[in-house]
Amino acid sequence: MNAFLIFALLILLMLTGMPVSISLGLTVLTFLFTMTDVPIDAVAIKLFSGIEKFEIMAIPFFILAGNFLTHGGVARRMINFATDMVGHWHGGLALAGVLACALFAAVSGSSPATVVAIGSIILPAMVAQGYPKRFGAGVITTSGALGILIPPSIVMVMYSVTTNTSVGQLFMAGVVPGLMLAFLLGLTTWFLARKHNYPRMKKASWAQRWSSFRKSFWGLMLIVVVMGGIYSGKFTPTEAAAMSAMYAFFISVFVYKDLKLKQVGKVLLDSASLSAMLLYIITNAMLFSFLMTSEGIPQAMASWITGQGMGMVTFLLVVNVILLVAGNFMEPSSIVLILAPILFPVAVALGINPVHFGIIMVVNMEIGMCHPPVGLNLYVASGITKMGISELTVAVLPWLMTMLAFLVLVTYVPQISLWLPNLIYN
Amino acid sequence: MKLLDHLEEWLIATLLGAATLVVFVAVLHRYLSGLAIPGVQDYLISLNTSWAQEACIIMGVWMAKFGAAYGVRTGIHVGVDVLVNRVNHAWRTRLVIVALLAGALFTGIVGYLGAHLIWHLEDQTSEVLELPMRYVYLCLPLGSWLMCFRFLQVLLAFVRTGDLPQHDHTFVEGLEQEIGAPGPGGKA
Repeated sequence: MNAFLIFALLILLMLTGMPVSISLGLTVLTFLFTMTDVPIDAVAIKLFSGIEKFEIMAIPFFILAGNFLTHGGVARRMINFATDMVGHWHGGLALAGVLACALFAAVSGSSPATVVAIGSIILPAMVAQGYPKRFGAGVITTSGALGILIPPSIVMVMYSVTTNTSVGQLFMAGVVPGLMLAFLLGLTTWFLARKHNYPRMKKASWAQRWSSFRKSFWGLMLIVVVMGGIYSGKFTPTEAAAMSAMYAFFISVFVYKDLKLKQVGKVLLDSASLSAMLLYIITNAMLFSFLMTSEGIPQAMASWITGQGMGMVTFLLVVNVILLVAGNFMEPSSIVLILAPILFPVAVALGINPVHFGIIMVVNMEIGMCHPPVGLNLYVASGITKMGISELTVAVLPWLMTMLAFLVLVTYVPQISLWLPNLIYN
Repeated sequence: MKLLDHLEEWLIATLLGAATLVVFVAVLHRYLSGLAIPGVQDYLISLNTSWAQEACIIMGVWMAKFGAAYGVRTGIHVGVDVLVNRVNHAWRTRLVIVALLAGALFTGIVGYLGAHLIWHLEDQTSEVLELPMRYVYLCLPLGSWLMCFRFLQVLLAFVRTGDLPQHDHTFVEGLEQEIGAPGPGGKA
């Protein structure tokens, strides 16, 4: 009964269009004041302690690093490198887009940032080469989603914070599915490009490839700094995030010199404001999950579901449907923060590996970012291409289908996500 | 008012930069002091950077609280707009006003809770830096009340002009020049 009231109130508040964070907070306050006698000081403390974790600070640092990379010319050099590598195949520039997105995803933790960084450079180039606009938009919108699957990933940090799963293991688990999805998206692109006979580029010589590799070397090194640092145990994920922010600052300003020193303040401000927004949702979501736990809702749901005789297979199917539907209304961080604490205990009770479950959630979020009404990637792509959302929705369909097929695969073959972390951590 | 705006922007940008720098320095210190350079090593070991993590967290929380207020002014807080975009103008206006009032109400209450907390706090200090928790928690009421003020400000502007601050997630800084002239980026 309480669970029903809580969710009804939450949905009602959300429908007014107020920020998700505020609706979460108000639901909690209303409930605590009217139904329980939790001391209010406890609530205030929660508002502070909700984000008083060193792990959470990885989020602002990764955002900052991503912003430096976007403005600092790293993306363009990665695109040049990718174009030299795969440009001579069918749909060359589009394939290069997929590869560049995958590379950029390995240094950035956010999907929209990846779409912005890669799309804003490669889309105009594709149109200039004679690709239909919708083809390019479709490729980049979906490939940009790799940003949250290929580590580092902000959504994974959020999942780990709400469920106490190791960030390092999650990051590791994202590598294989990420590369696989990149490959599948590339394959879809290749088939479509071959069918429609889209332009190919001249094959680059090895000398050219070497030179573009050297130019993008400083950006690619970041992958080594972040991933290598975390897995060798040299840095915690948060330290790695701070190091990558400093590193990205250094190469954008002093090595590539694409970013002027006086622009740094603006980058800092933008990153701070975006991180603050996310942290504000986290705080209130923590408050919300505190309420859920104190009402015993996740446990009740877990025992109800196991009582129904619902097996792992059915449960995962239901989870996927819930997440995909939720993806129609909310953006990924809110979904993970609200639903992970509820679904996670059930998953654990059914014997699903926490890391595997995290990857399933992330892949779902990826799909949610690529379709309307709230697919942020779509809006970013529409901002770059000046295409309408409904037109874009049709444009992304072939890749979206690929992603859905991939989701089924990842959901029911845990080895895809667990193989690498098991190899490394055991 | 302008002063407050600038102070706010300056504060959150500086906090983020400083937090990054602090963690960076602490990590650097950890590895450099492992290198056996005579003299330098002893000096580095004598420095204590165990406070870095705590400082980073406190700066992060402060940034989050004031950044959230800045976010109200720039309209970065995302909501569910499925319903709002479907209803007619009169209803939309009503919903927006309700939403903004709710925002002001929530942040107002939270600010009060924070103030209440500080008022009744025993003399605690933080673990490493030994800062009085009273000052550390000060960001709760200050940030929240500032946020409340921002909500009311936005509400006032909305009633007067019908405009809401809209954060454009799709806007890309410097995009135009990037496409127009690939020029200066060619180097390096």
